[in-house]
Amino acid sequence: MSKDNKMKHLTQLGISSRMNFLFQASNLMAVGNQPKLAAYYGKLCRNVGNKAVMHMAPALKRSLCRRCFLPLIPGVNTELHVAEGAQDAKTAAHAPSNGAAKTKKKRHRRQRKKPQSQNTGNTNQEESEVQIQESTEQLSLFLECSLCCGRRSFAANSQRDCWLEQPQSMVQVVSFPKEKDQR
Amino acid sequence: MEHATSELREFISDLVIPHQRCNVNINPDHITMLEGTKIKKQHSRKRRAHKSSTLSRREYAALGLNTLPTKQMKYEEALPLHHLWKGYVREHLQLREGDEVPKVHDGRYDEFSRKLVKLDLHGAKLKVLQSKCSTLESLAGICVMDTKNVLKLLGKDHRVRTIPKSECVFGLKVGNMEFTIFGQHLNIRPAERSVKKIKNFVKPFM
Repeated sequence: MSKDNKMKHLTQLGISSRMNFLFQASNLMAVGNQPKLAAYYGKLCRNVGNKAVMHMAPALKRSLCRRCFLPLIPGVNTELHVAEGAQDAKTAAHAPSNGAAKTKKKRHRRQRKKPQSQNTGNTNQEESEVQIQESTEQLSLFLECSLCCGRRSFAANSQRDCWLEQPQSMVQVVSFPKEKDQR
Repeated sequence: MEHATSELREFISDLVIPHQRCNVNINPDHITMLEGTKIKKQHSRKRRAHKSSTLSRREYAALGLNTLPTKQMKYEEALPLHHLWKGYVREHLQLREGDEVPKVHDGRYDEFSRKLVKLDLHGAKLKVLQSKCSTLESLAGICVMDTKNVLKLLGKDHRVRTIPKSECVFGLKVGNMEFTIFGQHLNIRPAERSVKKIKNFVKPFM
C-alpha cells in the first residue's frame, strides 16, 4: 500500500513541479509589468492541473484572477478594497452574482431568528456581541483585476476556514530527499 | 500611462515607411483615448443575471491576451525567467552538478528521455539549428510563449519572433548537456504535452 502510494506521488512529481514553475513565472511576470504573459502562464498552470486531474492549493488558487488568471498581488497589480455597506440593498444588487447576494440574505435571517428565540434569558451584552459577529461576517474584502475588471471577494471571517487549510485534513506527509547543493 | 500608449505608438510607427520611422515623434499630450463603444442593445435584467464568472474565448481574445506586443519586452526582463527555468530543469530532470546525458545502453535512459519530452519550454534559451525556411535558421532567444504550432522567441534585439515548430529543429543547452529537439514532435498544446503518452520510437524527419 505504502509503496503504491509513493509510486503515485512520484508519477505526479513532474507535473507538480511544472505547475510550481508556471505559477512562479506568472508571479514574476506580474511583478515585471507584463500582464499578458502573467495571465498566460497563470492560465497554463490551471490547464496543466486540469489535464492531469490535480488541484492547486486553495491559497494559491485564490491569488489568481477568476476570469483571466492574472495573479493579483495587492500593492503591485491591485489594491485591496473593503466592500462598502453590505447591508444596503443597492450594493447587493451591484454584487457580481445574484446567488451570492441571496445566500447572504438567508444567513442574515437565520441568525436574527436564533437570538430572538433565546432572548428570554439573555442579557444585553450578549446581544451586542452577536451583532458584532454579524457585522464582521458581512464585511468582505475584494481585489479588482486590472486586466478584465473581474472581482475576487473574500469574507473577512476567520472562523470559517477552508477544509484543506485546517490541520485535521492532513493525512500523510511525503518528503523527498533534498539536494545538497542547489546549483 | 506610458505603458498604455506604447502599444499605440508602435502601431502608428509601423504604418510609416520604414526609412522615415526614426523621424516619427508622437507627443503623448496629443493622444486622446476613447474608452468603450456605444451599447448596441439594452440587455434585459434576466440576461445580466446569468453572466458567467469566467471569460469566454471571444472575450479572452478581445482583451488581447492571445497576442503579444512584438517590440515592448526587453531581453533583460526575460533573464529572471530564464534563471527560474534553470532551477526548474534541475528539479524536473533531477540533475546534479556535472551530470552527463545517459547513454542508450544505460538503465536510466528510458526514464530520462520520457522526462525530457514533458519538459516545459517557457524560459528556455532556444536556437534554430535547421529549418526548411532558410531565414529562420540561426535565430536564437528565450522562449516566452508556446502554443500548438508556434514558439515565440524573444531575441537579444528586444523583438518577439514567431517561429513555426513543425518546420524547424531546435537546439537546447542545459548546463553541459546539449539537446536537439525536432519541432515536429512538439506539435501538441503545452498543457496536453505533460499527460500525453509517448510511443517508444519516433522518427526524426530531416
